This record gives sequence, C-alpha cells and structure tokens, in this order.
Amino acid sequence: MKSSGKFGAFGGIYVPEPLMPNLEELEEAFLRLSVDKEFLCEFERLLAVWAGRPTPLYHAKNLSDAWGAKIFLKREDLLHGGAHKTNNAIGQALLAKAMGKTRIIAETGAGQHGVAAAMVGALLGIRTEVYMGEVDMERQKPNVFRMKLLGATVHPVKSGGRTLKDAINEALRDWISNLHNTHYMLGTAAGPHPFPTLVKFFQKVIGEEARRQCLEQNSSLPDYVVACIGGGSNAIGIFAGFLEDKNVGLIGVEPAGKGLETNEHGAVLEKGTPGCLHGMKSMLLQDADGQVHETYSIAAGLDYPSVGPEHAFLKSEGRADYASATDKQALEAFSELSRLEGIMPALESAHALAYAKQLASGKGKGKTILVNLSGRGDKDLEQVMAYV
Amino acid sequence: MSNRYEKRFKDLKAKGEKAYIPFTILGYPNRELCLQTVKCMIDSGAAALELGIAFSDPVADGPVIQKAACETIASGFTVEDAWELVRDIRKIDNQIPIGLLVYYNMVLAPGIETFYANAAACGVDGVLIADLPPESADEIALACGKHNVAPIFIVSPLTNSERLDLILRYAKGFLYAVSRLGITGVEERYDTKLAELISEVGKRTDLPLCVGFGISTPEQAKAMLKLGAHGVITGSKIVDLVQGSLGNGGSSLDKTLGAYLTSMVKAVKEQIDQ
Repeated sequence: MKSSGKFGAFGGIYVPEPLMPNLEELEEAFLRLSVDKEFLCEFERLLAVWAGRPTPLYHAKNLSDAWGAKIFLKREDLLHGGAHKTNNAIGQALLAKAMGKTRIIAETGAGQHGVAAAMVGALLGIRTEVYMGEVDMERQKPNVFRMKLLGATVHPVKSGGRTLKDAINEALRDWISNLHNTHYMLGTAAGPHPFPTLVKFFQKVIGEEARRQCLEQNSSLPDYVVACIGGGSNAIGIFAGFLEDKNVGLIGVEPAGKGLETNEHGAVLEKGTPGCLHGMKSMLLQDADGQVHETYSIAAGLDYPSVGPEHAFLKSEGRADYASATDKQALEAFSELSRLEGIMPALESAHALAYAKQLASGKGKGKTILVNLSGRGDKDLEQVMAYV
Repeated sequence: MSNRYEKRFKDLKAKGEKAYIPFTILGYPNRELCLQTVKCMIDSGAAALELGIAFSDPVADGPVIQKAACETIASGFTVEDAWELVRDIRKIDNQIPIGLLVYYNMVLAPGIETFYANAAACGVDGVLIADLPPESADEIALACGKHNVAPIFIVSPLTNSERLDLILRYAKGFLYAVSRLGITGVEERYDTKLAELISEVGKRTDLPLCVGFGISTPEQAKAMLKLGAHGVITGSKIVDLVQGSLGNGGSSLDKTLGAYLTSMVKAVKEQIDQ
C-alpha cells in the first residue's frame, strides 16, 4: 500500500491477508483516477445531470423563528435517491468500472446506500447485490422494494443483531470469496484504508457546495455545522468544506436511542473505547473481552457500533465535537420540520436537527447553524406513524 | 529462543512426516466437550493444535465457525475461561505446539502486552491474528518477541513476491496458507496458483507451510501435501462433527471425531510412504 491510511491513532488496514491485493488495487485506482480529468469530469457530469447537484441550501425561516437561531439546511434529501449516499455510489461505481469489475456488492442499514448502489448499478450496467440485516429489511421496507425494482438482489442477513454491522460482515465475506470480479462499494467513511479516504473524497462535494452557498446567501460562514453520525459519511462530507475554517464549530450527532444511561443506543464516540472492527481502528462499543455490542437506534442508518476513523481523530484533536440525540428527540424534530417547513427528514437526519434545536436554545442562540439534511423521510413513514 | 513449533517440525522432518493440525473453538460447545474434543485430537496423533477464541464478528470465517463462535459467546464463555482451558490443555500434553486463532480486537481489548503475556503464561506457542496483515505487524512484533510467541501469518494464492517478503520479515512458527480464495469451510476449490505459492515460499524460507481453508477430506489433505505443503489444517469439518454429536449429548463425539481425525492423520502419514 502507498499509505497506511492512518488518522492519528485511528484508521489503518486490518483485514485478512486474502483481501490485501484488492485493497492495493483499489488504492492504486483511486490515487490514479482522483486526479484524472476525464474521470472527474464524468463524476461531476453524473452528479449534475443524473443526480441533480448542486443541492440547494435552504434558509429555514419558520424553524429559525421557532428555535431562536438562523438555521440553514443543506438539502441532500433532494439528491436523486433521497440521500447523500448517491454521491459516493456514483464515484465508487465509476472506480469499479475503471477497474474492470463486473459485480458490485454493498451493505446497507437504512437502505439508502443500497438504493444508491442499485440505481448506479442499473445506470452503468453493473450487477448489484446488497446485504441488509433482517431487522433493517423489516423497518425500511420501502427501500427494499426500491432496490428490487431497480434490479438489485437483496440478501437478508440473519447473523448477529441482523443490522448494519452484520451486513458489513457478510459483504466482507462475499468480497473475500469473489475477489476477481467484485467491487465492494462500502457506503460509509469507515472500513479499511482506502475506504475512509475515498468515501470522503466523493462526499466532500456537500461541504464545498455548502460553504460556497453560505457565502453567497448569508455573506458569512456558519457558526456551527451539524450532521448526524452513523458511520459518518454525510458528516465527513459536509465537515470537509469547513475543516480549515477554525471558527466554524463542527458537531456530529450520534444516536442516543432510548437514552445514554441504558444499553440501547449507538453513541460510539461518547460511550465507546478504542478498538478494531471492519478493517479499521476506531472507537467501538464493546465489552472488556473485546466482543462488540449490539447497538440500538430508531434510525437504521445510525445503528452501528463503530464510527469512521476520521471522526475518532477529529474528536481526539478537539477539531470536532460529538453530541447525541434520543429516539424521542429525533421524532420530535421530524415532526417539527414536517409541520413548520413542509419537509420530512430521514430519521437519521432528524438526529442532527434535534441537536440543532438544543444548540439554538443554548450557546447557539442567535447564531447561524448549518444542518446537513442528509436524507428524506419517505422510507420512515411506517415507523414514524407507529409513534404518532 | 526456540519454541515448540520449531522442535515439532524438526522432529517431523527427521521422521519424514508431515503435520496434521486440527482446529476448534475454545469453549465450544462447552468447556467439558471442548476439552474432550482436544483430547481426541491429541490421542489421534495431531501434530499441533489450532484453537480459536470466539469473536462476535469473525469476518474471515464461514457459517459453521461463525455459528459456533456466536453460541460460545452466548453461553457466557469468556476470554478468561479460554485461558483457563488452554492451561488445562497444556497440562495434558506439554510438547504439542498450541496456536491461537484470534481477531485483532481480542488482542487490543486487554492491551497487546497483556494479551501476549497471558498467552505465554498459558503455554501458547503461536498466535495468528486473522485481521492483522503484515502492514500492521509492527504493533505486535515486540510483544511476540518478548514472550516467545510466534506470530503466524497467512499467505494466499494472490500473495505476490513483494508481499511475501513483507510477511517473511515477521512470520515465525509456520506459514498458514489458504488453499483458495474465500472464507473458512465454504468451498472445495483449489487455485492452481497455490502450487506456485508453495514453491515460491520454499525458495525463500525454511518456515514450514501448512494449508488450511476448505480442507476436509483425506484426499484433499494428500493433494495439498503432494504440492509440497508441510502440513494441513482442518477446522469447519471438526466443528461440524462436534455439532453433529450434540444431539445425543456428545456421547458419540469420541467415536465419530476420533474416526475422522485418525483418517486425516493416516492420510498425512500415507503421503510419506508413497
């Protein structure tokens, strides 16, 4: 490998030896194509004409009035497919094609990455197979239908807690068994090097656009940028635009589930300890023996016991802060955004909103807060209706 | 400092024999039957033991070992219980090399130094960390040396000569060659590249090379030895047999497992007679 893929003490490459040639191949292709004009042109073209970039920056005035801060929403929910996942899926599918791969596999939690993979697979004519935990298939049914209608195969994962973590395990096993023809399209900025770096590369368009749009619309940078954290790809994507702006506070919001005092949450950065899972060193919810805990969140896309290594690094460096929001707070935020702005957020993104509300009533009062509205809520209707 | 692997492989070589290395998961299906399983391995003539500590997310393992690992953790069997069991196994046979197969998070959890100190204190001779490639091996090299525990590494049919050099910089004990691409116990396909790998390894090192993943029959074992391997490792098949004996409370374990292990040991010895 050309790089160790380390972010301070986190990241790296911790995979079984048989996977190494594939990671070497992927790193080589990424390093070559990420500076290749033709490749970048095609990536940007598809982002624009197929996926609908740039996505708007929206000043949510009603919400601002209600919460007491100037709230801007980066509307990734309007991206084709309904979430930011499409950015990364296009980028990686183009990489896969350039590497001559004829099959794409992906894991999915909320189903948004699976849908993005299925859409891009259909577009580029690459066979796509998605691993999804049985629990998640049940709670995100509309996305299962979408993947199937787009021509992808959905493999139910029955091991472990049958959620995102287990879907990644199965995808990794598939990849080890099908090295020659298959690209593993990892959906978040986690996993072994080079995934955290390349997923950030394909997602940084969110932050670059948002920074420009803030300057255009508000003539200043925001005081805070808030994004939800599962693996952390939408957050690293929007943070990427502001990392050098030291006066902009970056805040990632983890799922507190039924409360941090219970065992039913996914607040990895707040409650976890350093560990190694899915090819990377990062923070991890685990017991004293190193067995990985089952996590819980109402939002399937945040239900993950580890986190992208760059977030663990940004926290250790003090460059970003990490907070959390409970299921209940996320549901309230879902409802408020729906009623006040006519926008239904994904339950994942609702966690970021819930924290923005708290921020607006405290140290963020009267300040400008940029929230990454990473996805739309259509997939969550059945779940939310059960609570209303 | 030499350890039991060096002595065992040297003795085998002197006798013109090859190694049969069976695998099981420590604590599966419970402490007693696991100990019985390991006794059966030793009595059948296993050259070394490969013992796994159950991990919640074993990405290099196929469904049989995954399920067994999951059940072992669910039964409440802890890493401390695993160390105790290894100590008892060491009491039964003080000469047989004992290798552990673990995932890196199990090593990091207590701390690298503590993990290797524990391993050495229990009489472990080698540790293979399934998800630690040589790129990251510096992290454990010091503790391995200090406690005289051999770092065992995997080589695959796709390992090129550059990577082989990197692996050989760290590897001790023996090299664990995967017979094909994939996870444990799933397919029975050999890559023709395996023969090239074995010959390439032979040119570069005196370390013995043992082949595992997808080896379950005496015929497969013979085929591997014919290619030049110094030994074979079987795992999923054994866990499968142990599982199969549970229906009658494990009373048929000695008989079925013993017959299987004996057939494998015989196959490994027969190879030499040819």
